[in-house]
Amino acid sequence: MSNEFNKGRRKFIKSAFTVASALAIAKVAPTWATPQGRKFKDQVLTKDEIDLTIAKSPLLVGNKVGTPITINGQMPGPLIRLKEGQRAKLNVTNRLSEDTSIHWHGIILPENMDGVPGVSFEGIKPWRTYKYRYDVEQNGTYWYHSHSGLQEQLGHLGPLVIEPKDGDIGADREHTIILSDWTFEDPDTVFRNLKVAEGYYNYQKRTIFETFEDVRQQGLEKTWKQREMWGQMRMSPRDIADVTGSTYTYLMNGRDSQMNWSALFKPGEKVRLRIINGSAMSYFDVRIPGLEMTVVAADGQPVKPVPVDEFRIGVAETYDVIVQPKQNKPYTIFAESFDRSGYVRGTLTPEIGLEAEVPDLRPAVERGMAAMGMGAMAMSGDMKGNSMNMKHMGGNNSHMTHKMTHKKELPVENIKIKHRESGHGAGAAMIATNPVSRLHEPGIGLEDVDHKVLVYTDLVGAHEWPDTREPERQIELHLTGNMERYMWSFDGKKFTEVDGPVQFHHGERLRLVMVNDTMMDHPIHLHGMWMELENGQYPRPRKHTISLKPSEKVSLLITADAPGSWAFHCHLLYHMKAGMFRVVNVA
Amino acid sequence: MYGKSLLVGAALLPGLAVAGHAKEDWPEPVKEYYTGQVLFDRLELTRTNEEENVAVWDMMAWYGGDYHRFVFKSEGENIQDDGEPTDLESAELLYGYLMSPFWSFQAGVGTRGSLSSDASMENYAVVSFMGLAPYWFEMDNSLMVNEEGDVQFVSETEYEWQLTQTSYLQPRIELTANLTDSDKYERQSGLSNLRVGLRYRHEISREFAPYIGVYWNGALGNTADEMKRMSEDTTETGVVLGARVWF
Repeated sequence: MSNEFNKGRRKFIKSAFTVASALAIAKVAPTWATPQGRKFKDQVLTKDEIDLTIAKSPLLVGNKVGTPITINGQMPGPLIRLKEGQRAKLNVTNRLSEDTSIHWHGIILPENMDGVPGVSFEGIKPWRTYKYRYDVEQNGTYWYHSHSGLQEQLGHLGPLVIEPKDGDIGADREHTIILSDWTFEDPDTVFRNLKVAEGYYNYQKRTIFETFEDVRQQGLEKTWKQREMWGQMRMSPRDIADVTGSTYTYLMNGRDSQMNWSALFKPGEKVRLRIINGSAMSYFDVRIPGLEMTVVAADGQPVKPVPVDEFRIGVAETYDVIVQPKQNKPYTIFAESFDRSGYVRGTLTPEIGLEAEVPDLRPAVERGMAAMGMGAMAMSGDMKGNSMNMKHMGGNNSHMTHKMTHKKELPVENIKIKHRESGHGAGAAMIATNPVSRLHEPGIGLEDVDHKVLVYTDLVGAHEWPDTREPERQIELHLTGNMERYMWSFDGKKFTEVDGPVQFHHGERLRLVMVNDTMMDHPIHLHGMWMELENGQYPRPRKHTISLKPSEKVSLLITADAPGSWAFHCHLLYHMKAGMFRVVNVA
Repeated sequence: MYGKSLLVGAALLPGLAVAGHAKEDWPEPVKEYYTGQVLFDRLELTRTNEEENVAVWDMMAWYGGDYHRFVFKSEGENIQDDGEPTDLESAELLYGYLMSPFWSFQAGVGTRGSLSSDASMENYAVVSFMGLAPYWFEMDNSLMVNEEGDVQFVSETEYEWQLTQTSYLQPRIELTANLTDSDKYERQSGLSNLRVGLRYRHEISREFAPYIGVYWNGALGNTADEMKRMSEDTTETGVVLGARVWF
């Protein structure tokens, strides 16, 4: 790794950075996550052929020893750096006692190199090696992870960075940050807990005393009206994340907050942070207090620069931001779980061993009426056929004011969503009676912050994409679920209940319309092809993973140019395992 | 003829190979999930106003997938130091089907009676609607028909007030009604029994939650009249100490 950092600036005596602690860090930290990062135009430290060995090995996670799945002895796995235009040669050897796999998340490649057991290949048997070979035709920040069982929860993941042909990263230095959620519980136990005991990990439920307090403050009638809908639906407005900080240790490059992963900079330098959410279940809100971040890429694809103070990163998404710290002082990189049950921090610092103030966790959040598709009702004016009426709107006007400022009309807003009278069956506990576009909303808990938060409508593609055709065909899919039995599905049918793939015709231009008929946020990932988000901008941003808010509808344009079978699923690991998975067939 | 079917086969096969997302020897990317649970909702010691000590259980176990499950339910009690055998109030084996997001239909057979060697058990067929009603009322409604053709209806409802993230105040109502008279089992038609309880439960873990509580039990209608005629008390109160346990 590069070691170009100005040695004169270093003060080794500073803080607790002794030889011993340096060794301790080296043992747990992936070796690529060195504080120096990579400087512009460094030598590419990638061999032509890369060998990856998957094994289970004890490793210090936070202050306890766990048994993650490691890749070349590290968790997260090594930073793989490829160059646009090269042929990737990646040999993956399985040293586990069960099958494994690696999926290259966001990479356009042939069907049999995509790494989804049962869809693209049969998986990698124990003690066998699979040779992944594909031409790298893109650049940017991506990641890779197991697509076998719940292995991803055990840390079977790592960052994948592809340098552009010209080597220009648009900054003086770069750091790669992969966020993950670690539990010392067996992932199978976590899944069973979710299955048999609804709300098992939620320690932020509404108590009776909070209800009393609301009654005292706003009166019985208003409180009742706020509770009424949730009671009728048998859902909790505090159900934000299924698996929370009550079991998770949140990690930044494999280290918890106490270990404080640090990244060096020189004041005045432009630093590119490649941020990847490699979590199994956790959305993060990321900010660096005191620093403005300029978003320059989303899901590895360049976007026109957007200055923000904070952004929410859904599971499996990636964002590249540029920061330019001018002062010679440390800054906290703060990644807060979106249900506010925990956080992980690291430090961007001019010298090793410094740390900056760590912000408090913000209070637990609660879903408002917008989650039920109520927020925009006043705007849509469509009250017919809607069982909910205005008196239920309760005191929640903040969503409405958000809506009022929203002008641009999106294609999806003119698409009528129809539900069958009977709903989606026993597998779906609700339907969004009035789904709306929520791309301009920052998301739950960020509605009222006093700084700029990235929203999907801010994203503008840096340039036009090759296929500028209008869509010829439309496919509609509904995100559905039943919390009580932890069933998750599309159109009310779990993967095990559907009898065939979603069919794309090779070469066609499609509009995919998705409607979130649940109370949860879902990051939906399509393998093998890009999805251009119809967010009212042109060029559109293109994504491999799109997060849908409750009662939201979105539309995406897809060019079905990748023949074969591809996975399409919710990237919340336990939702996928519970059935929120489809195969898309392009033929 | 033979040639034609070959042609059709050849035309079909490539399609099959592509459409079938799992080639034959490949694993399914997502499998059906089966699990089970044993839940003792009430495992308690009761002290009644008659100064009797009673050990009580009320449990359910199930195994299966999301839609289809085998369910075993049992309730019973043993009055301590009275020399009498344990009273099995119910032991039911049911098949359950999730018919709507919050409700499952269950059907099966059950038995009840005194657990002594010489007692004859009452066997019955049972159907239940079990689930979550709006506003989070946890309900189990059962209709039972025994070999004599006697019909009984039992409805249990529980609710939870969340006090803190790990403690709850939980009211519980159990109503029993006989749709027919039964000479053999000395049941009178009409509403026969109401039991109301309230307990405070504190979770040590999600799986293990001790509680303390009180209850009132009263006979109703013809049943109460009959008990009065026999000079028996028609009501009973008590305090309970127990735990809700699952694994």
